[in-house]
Amino acid sequence: MTRPKVVVVGGGLAGLSATMQLAQLSIDVDIVSLTPVKRSHSCCAQGGINSVNNLTRQLGDNEWKHFDDTVYGGDFLQHQPPVNEMAQWAPKIIELMDRLGVTFNRTPEGFRDQRRFGGTLYARTAFAGATTGQQLLYALDEQVRRWEEHGHVTKHEFWEYLGPILDDSGVCCGCVVQDLVSMEIRSLRADALIIASGGCGLIYGRSTMSMACTGSAASRTYQAGVHYANGEFIQVHPTAIPGADKLRLMSESARGEGGRVWVSRIPQDPRHPTEIPAADRYYFLEDRYPKYGNLVPRDIATREIFNVCTKEGLSVEKDRMCVYLDVSHLPSDELDRKLGGILEIYEKFQGVDPRKVPMKIFPAVHYSMGGLWCDYARTAAGGLHVGSPRNHETNVPGLYAIGECDYHYHGANRLGANSLIACIFSGLITGTGVANRMKSADRPLAAERASTLFDQACQGKQADYKALLARDGRGGNPYDIHQELGKVMTQAATVVRHNPDLEKALAKVHELQERAKTCSLSDMGNWTNQNVVFTRALQDMFPIAKTILKGALARDECRGAHFKPEFTMPHVDAEAPSERRRQAEAWCDRFEENNRKWLKSTIARLGPDGEPELSYEEVDTSLIPPRPRLYGIVGGEVIEEVWKERSRGAAHE
Amino acid sequence: MSDTTSSRAFDVVVLRQDGPGRPSYWQRFAVPYEADMNVISALQKIAAMGRTADGKAVSPVVWDCNCLEEVCGACTMVINGKVRQACTALVDRLLEDNPEAIELRPMTKFPVVRDLMVDRSRMFATLKKIKAWLPVDSYYDIGEAARQSQENQQIAYELSKCMTCGCCLEACPQYLKIELVRHEGESDEAFHARETEAFFRSFMGASAIAQVDLFNTNPTGAMTSRDRLDALVSEGGIQVCGNAQNCVQVCPKDIPLTTSIARMGRAATVHTLKQWFDR
Amino acid sequence: MQISDCASVFGRHEFLIRRLHSLSGLVPIGGYLAFHLATNAAILDGVAAYQHRADQIHRLGPTTILVLEWSLIFLPILFHGIVGMLIVCRGKRNLSQYPYTGNFRYTLQRATGVIAMLFILWHVFHMHGWFRWQWWVEGVARPLGGAQFNPAAAVTAPEVLQSSWVLVVLYAIGTLACVYHLANGIWTMGITWGVWTSPRAQRMANIPCMLGGLILAVVGMGALYGMCIADTSAVPAGGERPAHSHASFEPGEETVPGGIELTEEGRI
Repeated sequence: MTRPKVVVVGGGLAGLSATMQLAQLSIDVDIVSLTPVKRSHSCCAQGGINSVNNLTRQLGDNEWKHFDDTVYGGDFLQHQPPVNEMAQWAPKIIELMDRLGVTFNRTPEGFRDQRRFGGTLYARTAFAGATTGQQLLYALDEQVRRWEEHGHVTKHEFWEYLGPILDDSGVCCGCVVQDLVSMEIRSLRADALIIASGGCGLIYGRSTMSMACTGSAASRTYQAGVHYANGEFIQVHPTAIPGADKLRLMSESARGEGGRVWVSRIPQDPRHPTEIPAADRYYFLEDRYPKYGNLVPRDIATREIFNVCTKEGLSVEKDRMCVYLDVSHLPSDELDRKLGGILEIYEKFQGVDPRKVPMKIFPAVHYSMGGLWCDYARTAAGGLHVGSPRNHETNVPGLYAIGECDYHYHGANRLGANSLIACIFSGLITGTGVANRMKSADRPLAAERASTLFDQACQGKQADYKALLARDGRGGNPYDIHQELGKVMTQAATVVRHNPDLEKALAKVHELQERAKTCSLSDMGNWTNQNVVFTRALQDMFPIAKTILKGALARDECRGAHFKPEFTMPHVDAEAPSERRRQAEAWCDRFEENNRKWLKSTIARLGPDGEPELSYEEVDTSLIPPRPRLYGIVGGEVIEEVWKERSRGAAHE
Repeated sequence: MSDTTSSRAFDVVVLRQDGPGRPSYWQRFAVPYEADMNVISALQKIAAMGRTADGKAVSPVVWDCNCLEEVCGACTMVINGKVRQACTALVDRLLEDNPEAIELRPMTKFPVVRDLMVDRSRMFATLKKIKAWLPVDSYYDIGEAARQSQENQQIAYELSKCMTCGCCLEACPQYLKIELVRHEGESDEAFHARETEAFFRSFMGASAIAQVDLFNTNPTGAMTSRDRLDALVSEGGIQVCGNAQNCVQVCPKDIPLTTSIARMGRAATVHTLKQWFDR
Repeated sequence: MQISDCASVFGRHEFLIRRLHSLSGLVPIGGYLAFHLATNAAILDGVAAYQHRADQIHRLGPTTILVLEWSLIFLPILFHGIVGMLIVCRGKRNLSQYPYTGNFRYTLQRATGVIAMLFILWHVFHMHGWFRWQWWVEGVARPLGGAQFNPAAAVTAPEVLQSSWVLVVLYAIGTLACVYHLANGIWTMGITWGVWTSPRAQRMANIPCMLGGLILAVVGMGALYGMCIADTSAVPAGGERPAHSHASFEPGEETVPGGIELTEEGRI
């Protein structure tokens, strides 16, 4: 008997949890992954995974508060029912992961240990050493291997997804894939296709993301007609170690323990940092924010470090922007005790002892909150209909998006330690929904369809591949074009965004895209050709790059990770109470007006000319009404007072 | 690039191979020096240049990598004669040791796919052989996980950091390469079955032995420890270990592999005696 | 086909064979080595004392000696040696690439194993002759310089060794190889069987292993030294020295099927 089959693209936390859920429900799954799934980018997550737990519950925490923290942190730009459902599931998911053997840290009594993370008041975060993501990924990898041994799962590792196959009615019934060893192109028939391909950090050249995070799978799906939402929301982490190959995270605890951020007042001072006298050292965070000093909130630290290097040209190095993060003034034994682990990472990759020499750090692109648009089935109570095939289904029937490459859960800014739970949750719930989709017998099984559809799709991709190989050697170098793209994107669309810059960047990216169309390969071979893979991924970066830029250009406001200085909120800094009050009223008016205009998801679709076209989608904020984010804002208390009065007034009406 | 560094370049010699069964050959590349480079960034530059040191246009060197943070295990290669992760191999340190050039070769215990990329599917097959998973009832919410002592967690965490990179196997004198050639007209399935059998019968290596330890230490895993011990004492099992203890020296994650091997040696002894006397 | 059958039988019982290999190295081979070296060290007290020790052993009678020799010494050594050779062949040494202490010991264990194997094969032939069939002893072993030792006239041992310094060097190398192989083998055996597991325990266990090896080496070298300086002209008191060695009996004299002369018995 022919059985239904699901293809999952990507083997990180989301893809693997969907796979094991489907396998448990007796659905056969093919996984397509650029790397062995055990090497997926999920393994890079360090901090932990959030959920309410027995301990925080007794301090007043509950699922609703986790939900609230998430939408508040995300500046209310996410649909609330999926977030609500995720927060409800979170404790159960942690329990499941524990049952699957994740080596969570333990208390002396043998319970899971928890730590506190940013953006919340409760110790919600379970963790496994400094490699929680790796441990979670391995637990899922093991389960999927178990199903592979049972014959329910087939892995296609070192295979690349080239695009979905849609039938005449626009229903997804498979995808085209390429074996990256033999370079054979073939189709995989699927009754549902789940994209779980992760983030797109490589569009920014170097980021904290892995080399597989090109966004190409999402882009190919986008180019096939799936909508892309909130692309402009890209999270930047303030402190990363700039490497020639990638940017590696440096935990914020270095600042928490007394680390000082500075640059030399002389641009690109050739002196060794330890020889620069105090008079020439510019502790710019301490100078500008005397109250918070080096511990200003994450986004401010990010912006200031960025500005001091770009606008003021005070970067420590000329070729590579960075500032000093200095802990060398702290006693060495104290450092070892409190920061040992993270200082070792720096030493391992930089070969310099941060106990003696200031570290060089710079903000780095870290996470894409936006992604492929997908649906959800809302219950009356504001959760999700568990088991509905609509959950995480994109606008193309039968095509699903989960994990970092979807746009749910994180809104305009992701809360620390929430990505892991979102990935696993979206995988599990989508697995159930997709399994239910298989049960409805109103359409033919993909395996029983005529082969013409699949053959044609393969031939199309085969022709593209041949054309790529056949390019004459006179075009540009794809690696150089990628570097330029990264530079443009990093300058225009990371921390601080200005409309003229974005416009220029859009034009530049367009030019690069044209150049990439004729860039030439240095390897024309037909065996393990990484040159082809890279060039193809590069070409697929442009639609998303343009979507990010266009979305950012259109969005004239500040929200979460999207910051435009021209559209900041007014200051509430008057001395006189009445004037302060008036300012706060104005602030709240502006806030409400801004939300009316911009509390919307950007939805991009590619037009016939291949250019992104934007429209906007109302956000479901029916469960928790939007309120101002007041982390450390001057005058925050009076704004809060005014806001509360207004909310009460609204409730009485 | 600043003046002080632009003039400097260093040599990288790479042992290349165009595909399985093809002859290998050395190629020398001159890579412009930059501060804080590692072997990955040198390879990225080589790929972008596409030229050897003497100016000949060549295809980019093929290699495997992903996270570049030493947690994914992809970029294992033999650098200046020693197996390690390319991402933590810092150019400055390597040039201190050998100013002449940095020498890169593929791992020798796995079939070369191309250049520095090897096929490590045997490692993943071995994880199937030893049943490296917890056979939970289901993924539904059916209750709490067992409590575990801190001591237990610390042991398990160390073992669970294994990223299947293969360093321990490359350095192991008892672990030998298996490279099968497909017969004329052999189907994918038949070849795969033949390969799996060969993998299952040859030495599993330190990483797999430590994984048996990991899963048998877990309260749920302990319920099925016998299955894993059966695999451990089967052909290619723990008995092949020769106690050279190179594994623990080269493990990039400092996993106490030899401790696990000894602990599993004890478990295997007890298991086998039990098989004889309790049967 | 037959080779692959053998391989598959070996494969199926690999664990058992390897564990027996490990065990046989200690019991009986290791035990016998210690006993053998201690026995030979008696020569330090003179040929007479040495003869007395030989007599004590051979008081068991040739049949018992034959059975014990083959069951507890020769067969276990052959088993240990053959399996050992297979193990050596199946390894790919890499000491130059990974010059760690553990790897050095691993490599040396294999080198000394091979040396010990060759040495023992030759040594047994040289002194004992392996078999006691007369045709073998007279027709093969003796002409090739083997079967030199006569337990009834233990002085033959120092006599042989004093005949050439090359032999002394060969015996020194062979003995030390055996001793290292045993001492290090006991240490790795403790890991293999899971007696000492943690790095600390393994370091601690290494001390008695190496100390024992050192003592055994001293005993072995002492025996060799004793052989070299023994006064072979003094015929031991109480032990009559036959005009010729025991292999020169008349044909037709009664022998057991295994080939050991019964005449020795008469002496006891």
